[in-house]
Amino acid sequence: MGEFEVHRVRFFGLVPAGVRCLACHPRGARLALARTDGTVEVYNFAANYFQEKVIPGHEARSVESLCWAAGERLFGAGLGGDITEFDLCGLSAARGVDGGGGPIWSMVASGTGTQLAIGCEDGSVKIFQVVPGGGIQFERNLDRRKGRVLCLSWHRSGTYIVAGSIDFFRVIDVASGQTVQRIMVNHQVEKAKPECVVWAIALLSSGTVVSADSFGRVQFWDWEQGTLAESHTVSTSAALSLAVSEKEDSIVVGTSTGATYQLQLLPVKLGGLEKCWVRTKPFQFHSHDVRAVAHSSTALISGGLDAQLVIRPLMEKVQKKGYDAVLRKFTFPHRRLVSCARKARLLLFQFSQYLELWRLGSTEETGKDGEVLPPCRMPEHLVQLKSKGPEHIYCSCVSPCGTWVGYSTASRFQLYRVHCDGDGVSLRKVPKVPKLLPPAYQLQFSADSESLFVASARGSVHVFQLLEPGGCKHLHTLQPPSGCSEAVYLLAPSADGHWLAAVSGDWAIHIYNLKCFQHHCVVPAYSCAVSALAIHPSTNNLVIAYSDQQLFEFSIPEKQYTSWSRAVQSRGLHRTWLERDSPITHITFNPKNPAHILLHDTYLLCILDKSLPLPDDSTLLMNQSTLKQLPETARKRQLHAFKICKKFQPLLFMDLLDENCLVVVERPIMDFKTQLPLAVQQKKFGT
Amino acid sequence: MSPNPRAICSTSYQVLVNFGKRHVKDVMDVHTILEDPLGRIGACGLRMLRADVLCSLHSPMVAKGSLGSQDMWRELVPVLLDGAFWEQGRQAQFQTQPEDSPLLRPDSPCQALRPAGTGVLGEGVRAAQPLTGQPLTGQPLTGQPLTGQPSPAEPPRRLSSWEWPGRAAGGGFRRKPRSERGSARRCSRGLRLPRSARAPLAGVTAFPPCRYLLCASGDFVKVYSVNTEETLRLMGGHADLVTGIQLNPHNHMQLYSSSLDGTIKLWDFMDGIPIKTFTVGSKLLALQIFFLWSDTFQLVSVKLTKGAGQDLESKELSVVLDGVGASVKHIAFGREGAYVVSVKDVTLQVYFFKRKLLNRFSLSTVKTKGGDNCFSCVVCHPTEDCIATGHADGKIRLWRNFHHRKEYTYSTLHWHHDIVMDLAFSVEGTRLLSGGVESVLVQWHNESSCQKDFLPRLGSPIEYISMSSDGALCCTLHTDNRITIINSNLRFSRSIQGLIKSRDVKTGLVVDPRTKALVLNGEPGHLQFYSLQSDQQLFSLDIVQRQYIHQAGLKQSDLVKVAFSAQGTWLATVEESEEVTDPELQLKLWFYSEETQSFTLNTRINTPHDNHITDMCFRDMDELGDDSLILVTTGRDCVFKVWVMVEDTDPEAHESVSWSCDFVGSYHNYQATNCCFSEDGSLLAVSFEETVTVWDSLTWDLKCTFCHPPGNIRNICFGRLTCSKYLIGATDYGFLCCWNLLTCALEWSAHLNIVVLQPDPLSEHIAAVSWLSKESSLFVFKPNEPRPLYIQRNLCKEKILLAAFVPRDEPETISSEKYLWLRKSQLFFLTDTQELMTLSTKSLEERLTPSSKQLAVEESLPVTPFSLLLGKHRHQQAQEDTDLGKPVVHNKQEQASPAVKELLHTPAHVLPSASFLCTIFINSLLISKENKSAEEVADEVEMESEKAGGDSDEEDVTVMEQEDTSPMELLGEMTCKLSKSQEKELRKIRKMDYSWIAAF
Repeated sequence: MGEFEVHRVRFFGLVPAGVRCLACHPRGARLALARTDGTVEVYNFAANYFQEKVIPGHEARSVESLCWAAGERLFGAGLGGDITEFDLCGLSAARGVDGGGGPIWSMVASGTGTQLAIGCEDGSVKIFQVVPGGGIQFERNLDRRKGRVLCLSWHRSGTYIVAGSIDFFRVIDVASGQTVQRIMVNHQVEKAKPECVVWAIALLSSGTVVSADSFGRVQFWDWEQGTLAESHTVSTSAALSLAVSEKEDSIVVGTSTGATYQLQLLPVKLGGLEKCWVRTKPFQFHSHDVRAVAHSSTALISGGLDAQLVIRPLMEKVQKKGYDAVLRKFTFPHRRLVSCARKARLLLFQFSQYLELWRLGSTEETGKDGEVLPPCRMPEHLVQLKSKGPEHIYCSCVSPCGTWVGYSTASRFQLYRVHCDGDGVSLRKVPKVPKLLPPAYQLQFSADSESLFVASARGSVHVFQLLEPGGCKHLHTLQPPSGCSEAVYLLAPSADGHWLAAVSGDWAIHIYNLKCFQHHCVVPAYSCAVSALAIHPSTNNLVIAYSDQQLFEFSIPEKQYTSWSRAVQSRGLHRTWLERDSPITHITFNPKNPAHILLHDTYLLCILDKSLPLPDDSTLLMNQSTLKQLPETARKRQLHAFKICKKFQPLLFMDLLDENCLVVVERPIMDFKTQLPLAVQQKKFGT
Repeated sequence: MSPNPRAICSTSYQVLVNFGKRHVKDVMDVHTILEDPLGRIGACGLRMLRADVLCSLHSPMVAKGSLGSQDMWRELVPVLLDGAFWEQGRQAQFQTQPEDSPLLRPDSPCQALRPAGTGVLGEGVRAAQPLTGQPLTGQPLTGQPLTGQPSPAEPPRRLSSWEWPGRAAGGGFRRKPRSERGSARRCSRGLRLPRSARAPLAGVTAFPPCRYLLCASGDFVKVYSVNTEETLRLMGGHADLVTGIQLNPHNHMQLYSSSLDGTIKLWDFMDGIPIKTFTVGSKLLALQIFFLWSDTFQLVSVKLTKGAGQDLESKELSVVLDGVGASVKHIAFGREGAYVVSVKDVTLQVYFFKRKLLNRFSLSTVKTKGGDNCFSCVVCHPTEDCIATGHADGKIRLWRNFHHRKEYTYSTLHWHHDIVMDLAFSVEGTRLLSGGVESVLVQWHNESSCQKDFLPRLGSPIEYISMSSDGALCCTLHTDNRITIINSNLRFSRSIQGLIKSRDVKTGLVVDPRTKALVLNGEPGHLQFYSLQSDQQLFSLDIVQRQYIHQAGLKQSDLVKVAFSAQGTWLATVEESEEVTDPELQLKLWFYSEETQSFTLNTRINTPHDNHITDMCFRDMDELGDDSLILVTTGRDCVFKVWVMVEDTDPEAHESVSWSCDFVGSYHNYQATNCCFSEDGSLLAVSFEETVTVWDSLTWDLKCTFCHPPGNIRNICFGRLTCSKYLIGATDYGFLCCWNLLTCALEWSAHLNIVVLQPDPLSEHIAAVSWLSKESSLFVFKPNEPRPLYIQRNLCKEKILLAAFVPRDEPETISSEKYLWLRKSQLFFLTDTQELMTLSTKSLEERLTPSSKQLAVEESLPVTPFSLLLGKHRHQQAQEDTDLGKPVVHNKQEQASPAVKELLHTPAHVLPSASFLCTIFINSLLISKENKSAEEVADEVEMESEKAGGDSDEEDVTVMEQEDTSPMELLGEMTCKLSKSQEKELRKIRKMDYSWIAAF
């Protein structure tokens, strides 16, 4: 399938931020996740857990707690003391409301979703009203006691709130605002241990209070009597997080050793009414603290400080084996953080608050398959570009010629001109860049580096003309004719500069004709998120990868799916392909061989050869190694369209520099694990 | 055997049941089954692993109303059908046939002799001719009047052991198994009784805690006293290995036992009487021989038929589970018998009886991270629906919700680093005990907390764990055949240990002249002194004095040779490391110190020989002083060495004497293999491969040599007493030779593959055990006669490795002339399965001393108002006796209140009316002047009760009706002293417990 010279890039020092909190949408369709750097991400369960929306963080904004309220509205509260509503269409944080009680440690929404309760540093619990139109309004204070309120749980009926603090938790009657019960949790522990932090708490509808504390215990209390019903020591270190299933028959607990445990309410006798909580399944997917857990109807979800989000399906709840029954781990974002200037051989890495521009090394040697070629010129870190202000970067891009670099934060869009003079590289800010509000969600330069496409809110795409020696002019704003409320998050210009495909948050793909700046057509709707798309340089076919691993090819001139795409759909993709758990994040083409489509996700690189037959379920999808052993004639028979390479993992980016030169960007897990803080030391048997 | 009358109140005893285990080797050739003329063998294929009575299926609570009272009798007993076909021969029959089995009873001595004779002739001729092809030297053993005519027409009798000459002649000759705990290799099978035994009834727990430990042991069920560790009772009756025992859930005084002979017996273990025998084996089973060939086991339930007779046939079998694991540890019954769980490999099967639902759960077979998911054992929670399984990788899984095929779940406990051998739940189910090769008992508290307790250093790997029914004790059975009793707070309480099973008995069977105990390898590196009388370990002497580490691949030092001097004052031991080529040898000499009553190390000699030491002996000379004490060792380094005591000249030395080498002898550079002193100590015989050399022990001159090629000398010994002029030797190629030392010529020889040659120290007799074609035979002869005195063909199917004559304290009176050789000493054998066996003319029951029986009776008195009253009464009487200055006779107390005792021991419903008994009872409370009258009264009572028993046997129903009233009448005003719960309890038990009547 052709050999490539591969630039194996491992100098992208990305360290994803740890997961701080998780909030499962009550109806189970979406999962909101906040990272320690304030980034809020939304995963869509329906779209195979695709990371649908990302709201970059802000230095001054930490998110300690997230909750869904009033339907689809997402609120976050943090140590800044503000309650923030996140605009999921515009992918931005609205202006916060001051909680008025110092840093906010926890927030919980009432069962109806009309009220929010926050637990503050000063020991107060405050209730806010969610205003239907937008915003929130302070309602009242509940009984204030000394000691920060670290966790809250609201009874389903809305009558009681239980608030966990250090050494105790209390139950507050919402109607009267009075504390009706205060229970010490450290009464059994010897004096040597200083304090018992109630890290997580849950008030079940039966009136049982479940607490997870820093002694590693999960305790079940009868709050009316103030008695301890059951105590499960799940860990020798702290139990940090807790989530209860919708039916309240299962609890997931995260601990600081990285283990998560499931506790189940099981009948003591089969068919009997008496039930007890039993610690059942232990899982060790994380190496660090599991700060956040969530319990969806079919899966246990945990997020740790090692930046991993783990979705562990409950086999007994999954009806059929398939995509849902696969354990998946997400460490890296489902979007592109790397852009590549093909001609100039530059790579632009996007970090949360700065960009790095690298020049690829080169070699003059040639070798056989599998050989490592010694570079004659080492890769070079050209420049680091720090963004101004506290806001994190939304997106960035480098032009194919390598002379333009653009990035955008929540409030500003910046364009730079790169000047290479000999060894020195200088960046010069392009003056008079048109002000963009709201900001850009995706930047894309045209293939000839003469125009810049800026994805913006409400489905619009701005087209800028880049002017030599350093200028920029707004040419046009493309908008879907029917209007759209969601922001555009993916762009794909054609190589000939004729077409532009744009995907907005409602998953509609609009194709614009750039010659006349007109809307050309809409790709027929498909009920899944688009994870990557690209336009073929020679045929102008749009290749679309959806997050459910389906692949489509849409002919733009003919406004219909190509025959190959129809063949793929009628035949169906290989089962192994469909059961992969990470979405395709980038598509590119080999100009030398128009039948080839290059795709990659985090774990594999695939060359799709449209000229070969599609594999059926009985054949091996990943047959490269077996093919190698076969004689030439037999190999012909075994060939199928998918050529898969799993050599590079985890793969953050892949692009074709020229006909036979690939660049792959890896971020080995071990590399960034070493940059994480030390995990809790545990004695391992036999060492 | 007249059963003891039962005490009314005795049903409130607590019983700790355990079981000993027996590995089952068996069973039989299937062809034999079909051919067997007696037709009862089909049953042998049945292996009952667990006689769990599924009480809930037919208990009154479940079967409310719809079933009559008769149905309550039908109990389902699931048993396991064994599909494995065992190659090894059937176990020797240790137990005589029950008296009432006419089929197997030999009709006359003559008939009985015949098969035995056939065997002798057949073997003698067949073995001799093909090997040598020429007439035998000396007189052949065949053709003697002892053997009968061959009767080839008769098919080979599998049960030939019923027909031993001894039995036919005197009826009293039995083989007594000493093997109970001696045969530890067979420990892997047994029944775990307490597991599904019901929790004790509330009223019962108030009574004194468990006293008895029941243990299936060989063909017997043993009853141990928990307090004294004594064997209280030995219940024999099964014709083959007892594979499982189980308390009757309706009556904890009764016990079900199952055996390889295809029967299930119901016992009254307090009295040791079999109540019922259910014969499960039948033609029906013969059909299932098809299953026997495959490797699958089935769990079947047996409907125990109700009937009046003692022998019943239960042929209603229904298969519950197919393909279950082969061990009892692989099967467990759930709470109240609602379901049965079986594990095999990586599959867990749960069968719900009521819903007839079978759930199968499989673990992945992939060994991740070195883990091995195979199941090793399973138990069920007593009160909750929770299954605990042990796994080969040391994990314990607790399964719940297993009635859902999908939503089942389990949690994991992990401490053991190797296979979990057994698990047991406490009675309440709050604690789980687990054990494995680590020799640590782990107690897991309720699964919610990570807390666990350990009882380490239990000595050897834990094989089985069992809980008492009241939860106060638990006991573990170890691979070395020890039972450890452990308190509920996980403190070691006591251990019952007989013969410790060592990995390999290298020392041989040696008799300690001082204690008459058998001495052999015990724990690794230890020498055990095993008392034959009490079946207990006297003590264990640490010889190697090094920590033994249980780990595969480690080379450890172990004891290989032991010799005692004649008086037992000196002990010589040889230890060597396991390395084959260059063993580290140590010869140690121990002196018996009277002060410490133990052996103290006197001399340690490093590397006494350059290669393995093959034999060692002291010069036994009773009459001479210590100076004559000489130790001879022979080694593979082609020399024998003579060690003598020397006075230690060093004044600072701790000991006054030490040992040093005096003489080194060799013969043509042959390896020295055996050595032996003549009785007077003047001659030493040393065998060098094919040659026997005789040395003068004073001058160490080589006197003469004997040789009987081909073959190396295997054993040599001198004759004793009148036969001391003979030297006996056995060679590898199957010759037994007797040389005359006076003529220096071969006196006679016989063609026999002798493996053991053992002279009796007190007589001229020499016992020789031959091993040929998978059976051992015993020959006893005097060297001066070439004709054996006694021949026992087919002694056992296992190879006998060692034998020892143990001198009797006082010569036994033996009527039969043939067994005169057993008069002064008793012969013990150790087989390769480490079973200790003996030949004995005494019956089994005599083994238990009267004192221990008495103890059982005493102990069987419950703490009830009655017994308190009785105790007070006795106490007063004893006091009065002493006050009056009468000599207190022990019997006095026994005779004092026979009436009361009878009253207590006889079930209420067979007693005459209270008005009749009243006078007797009152009389008994009076201080009797004449003991005789009381005895007479007692006799009367017994007669009455017998009669009543006979009546009630026919009219069960009426008896049941009467029951309610009779105790009231009987007890009269006493009843008011019983608490209500006790009373209820009593009544309940009484209702259930009258099946023992059938034994009358």
